[in-house]
Order: sequence, then structure tokens, then C-alpha cells
Amino acid sequence: MKAVATLERETRLLQGNQAIAEGAIYAGARFYAGYPITPSSEIADECAKRMPELGGMYIQMEDEMASIAAVVGASLAGAKALTATSGPGFSLMQENLGLAVMGEVPCVVVDVQRSGPSTGLATKPAQSDIMQVRWGRHGDQSVIALCPATVRECFTLTVQAFNFAERFRVPVVLMPDEIVGHMRENVALPLPGEIEVVDRKAPAGPPASYLPFKPDEDGIAPLAAYGSEYVFHVTSSMHGTDGYSNNDPANAAWRVRQLHEKIERHRDEIVLTQSYYTEDMDVLIVTLGATTRAARTAALEARAQGIKAGVLQLQTVWPFADREIAALGKRARMVVVPEMNYSGQVAGEVLKALGPGADIRRVNKFNGTIITPQDILDAMLRPAGAQTQGNQP
Amino acid sequence: MRDSRLEIRIGGTGGQGLILCAKMLADALAAAGKRVAQSQTYEPTSRGGYCNSDLIVSEGEVDFPLATALDCLVLLDRMAVKPSWPLLKPDALVLADTRLCPELPEGNRDVKYRVHHLPLTRSAIELGSERVANIVALGALAAISGMCERKALERAVRADTPKSFLDLNLDALAAGYRLGEQEPALAATAP
Repeated sequence: MKAVATLERETRLLQGNQAIAEGAIYAGARFYAGYPITPSSEIADECAKRMPELGGMYIQMEDEMASIAAVVGASLAGAKALTATSGPGFSLMQENLGLAVMGEVPCVVVDVQRSGPSTGLATKPAQSDIMQVRWGRHGDQSVIALCPATVRECFTLTVQAFNFAERFRVPVVLMPDEIVGHMRENVALPLPGEIEVVDRKAPAGPPASYLPFKPDEDGIAPLAAYGSEYVFHVTSSMHGTDGYSNNDPANAAWRVRQLHEKIERHRDEIVLTQSYYTEDMDVLIVTLGATTRAARTAALEARAQGIKAGVLQLQTVWPFADREIAALGKRARMVVVPEMNYSGQVAGEVLKALGPGADIRRVNKFNGTIITPQDILDAMLRPAGAQTQGNQP
Repeated sequence: MRDSRLEIRIGGTGGQGLILCAKMLADALAAAGKRVAQSQTYEPTSRGGYCNSDLIVSEGEVDFPLATALDCLVLLDRMAVKPSWPLLKPDALVLADTRLCPELPEGNRDVKYRVHHLPLTRSAIELGSERVANIVALGALAAISGMCERKALERAVRADTPKSFLDLNLDALAAGYRLGEQEPALAATAP
């Protein structure tokens, strides 16, 4: 019934990348700084048009290092800010993304994943930045990452990305693949007020006693805006609750733990998944991004052949949905993990979640083409123990 | 679900307005309550190189969003034949331009597929611009397949056309419909 009601509303034919820009605006983003790179450039294009119309700001920067720096600065000045890029640009952003983690600066970075390594197949899709998103920065730290599978999710998960960034004072990476970024679908966009929009917690006490890194009960410190009556200091170096450098071992241990724990404590709220046909399944397909669409078709075709397959889509990639996978995986005789990379970046995490002995079937493609429903069906039908196929030349 | 799935490809070369053509068709189908997913070749080549624009149409949300078995294929250039022909479903509808795509693979033509060779680019040139061959093709495809309402398609063309091109595009759409309506029905089953 709900789906019918949705369709009756005005729908728009929208590209994934456009929907990301629209989602950012819905979430209250009014600052974009970036350096265009395929396959993310439509996000810049849309923001260049829309931000000025809304009294916001769009800046084309000289490179990706400057782009993320501008985003961090804008956010500290109180704006909801984003940038968008792809592989090579995302690599360049890592250093200042680390600054955003350390300074607990809410921001959203969109990495529309394309084939690597390096400039690789610049226009072709991949899902091979999964570990870079998690570990790309040096030092021990944690971010949140979301991955859309549809144009509508490009919109809704962008809103969610801003909500998480604002609520937990952390950079959030939205990581669609090129297929989803460039696909057009007719979608009924949420109306204002339909999805909750979260704003960062502002300090309430007297400015003189404001401590920008002193967490409240919920583990998150209020964040003032530069230029307000709250004057505060942010540094990339180890610092105390007042924001000034502090090399005391006890303080350093507390800071590193706190950067992790503020996310771990709220893990159940952050880990978003979507299940399809899992009620009675005995074969589980764990997916993210465009591969989810192939898996949904594969599950239906498997069911037509008498195999009860179900799909668990990881809308949140980091923190990883280990408990959700373990809960469903226990009921499955086989878990199939299709992903557009060579190394099985998701499959490795699935193995950690399920433990040794689980029948995990990897489906990997790393030649710039999408995993098809047939690729997934083939993996299901392989005898146990037979290893994954490579790519056909 | 797969049963209601319809796969359409507009194939040709970069610069022919293949994506625009698919977007207009998508808008017309969406107006009738269909769900659509549109994708395209995305390469460093553009003008002059092989390109296609694909449209998957479904009653519910489209599951796999890319082409796997084509119900309809429009060929605006010979370059699109080789990559698209193997994807054709049995009994698929094929519209090919007489001028830019004169030859089609032999053997099963007119047997396995419903092939219509139409002067799409020639009609566009007669209207004053080869650039509207995509809109002529759109009209012909809609007329032969009956997949969407003419009024809805006209609305979509109006919505996506700059003012200075509107008359030309509407003429092109009408020319496409005329070409399509003159064609004999090649098979009883609709795509």
C-alpha cells in the first residue's frame, strides 16, 4: 500500500549523482567545495547550480586536498558541507579527512567508486575502495560509511550521512559505485519534513567555560561555530578537552578510545541494512551498491529453481554489519558475497563475522563490468569447496 | 518482477541524442506509472564513438538495472549492431536506420526478430536537421510498439526541449509516428 501511495506523488527522473546533491540540500548542506572528477562530476555540476540559488556556496578548488580542507573549514564555521570525488581524488583527501576525524568535524565526502588501481579504468565501476574508506588515513580512527543501491537511496542515504555526521561529529563517506551514480530512475523524492534532519548539538553554557572536546553523556561534545561568541581551538595534534595540544599518555589513550567509542556505542543506530526474501532463506547473499540489484534478481531466479535465496544489503558499510550477518548467516547453509573487486574486501569481513567453517562463496569482478544475476547464480550452484572464478578475458 | 520487465536500447554514436531519447521515453512511461531505470555507455569516447542508452521498464521497482535481454533495439548507426545484436531476445523489435545502418546480420533477420528498416535520419534531414533523428526514432518506436501514449510522449518531448527546438522536435516526433504507422505489423505479439 505504501509503495502505491509513493507512486501517486510527483516522481522525477533523476540521476544518482543528482539525487545525492538534492539529498545534501534537503539535509541542509549549503557549502560545496570540490574538484571535478569522473564519475562524480554531476554532483559538482548540480551543486554549482543549486547552492548559490539557496544562498549557499559552491567553490571549485585547485585540487582535492584543498577541497576537503575547505569543507572542514566551512563545517567548523557552522555550515553543513560536502565534497564529492572518486578514487584518485579520494586518495588525495585522506590527510585532511584524518584532520576531520581528529577535530571531530562533521562533513560528508562522496566517493563515487571507479575502477583502479591509480587512474585505472576512469569511467568504469568498481567496489574496491571499501577498505580505503575504512583505513585510508594513518593512525587509529573510525569513520561511518554508507552505500546506496538505488537512485532513491542516493537521496535518502545522503540525508542520513549528514545526520550521522552532525550527530556523531565525524566525517561520513557516501560510497556509491559508478553504476548507481550514473543511473537514472524515476523516484518520488521525500517531502520536507518526511525524513528527520539532524543538526549538530550547540553549546549551551557560558562561552568562557566551553570545552569543544568534552563529551556529554551520549559521548559527543557540542560543537560551536567559528565566528560565534564561543572561541575555540582545533588542532590535528593530540589535544585535551579544551582543544589545545596535550601529550599526556592518559589523555592520548582517552582521546583515541573516545573517537572509536562514540561510534561503537551507537552502532545499532548507525548500522543500516535492508533485507529481501530472507524470512525463509537458506542461501544468503550479502551485497552493497549496484550488486544488490543483481542479487535481488538472482534471488528471484534461484527461487524459481527451488533454491531459497535471500539478500542482505549493507546500506551502512562501516561500522560493519557483523552481528546482522551472523544472525542471518546462522540460518543459511551458504553465504554468497558478490563484489566488484579482486580481493574480497567485504567477503573478508563476512568471514570474520561468521567464523571459520562457513560456506562463503566469493563472486569477484574487477574488469570494470558489473556482476550479473547469472554470475551470482553460478556461485550458488558451484559444488562446495570449488573456488571462485576469475574474470573472463 | 521479471515478468513485466521490458528492455529497450537506443544504440548509435555519441552526439546523436541517444540519452535524451531514452530520457523522454522514460518520462512518458513513468507518467503511466511504470518504474524505469536508464543507463548508458560511459567511455572516454563521445562524438563519433559507439554509444547506447538503455531503459529497463517494470511495473514495480526495477531489480537488475542494466540490459540483459533486449525487447526493443533502435539502431541509429552500424556501430551499435555488433555490441547489441547478441543481447536481442527472440522476437525482439528492431528499428534500424536505412542510411547509417543499412546492413544487419544475416541468417535470422526477419525470422527471429521483427526488423523495421526505416529512413529515420533521412526524415530528420528532410525536416531540416539530422540532429532530430533521435526524436524521429522515438516516434517510430512508440508507434510500432505501442508502449506508451502519444500524448504522454509529446509532453515529455516538450518538457525536455529548449524553446528554439520545440517546433522541430514536435515535427520530428510526428514524422516518426507516420513512419511507424505505415509499417506492417510483423508479428501478433506485442513486445
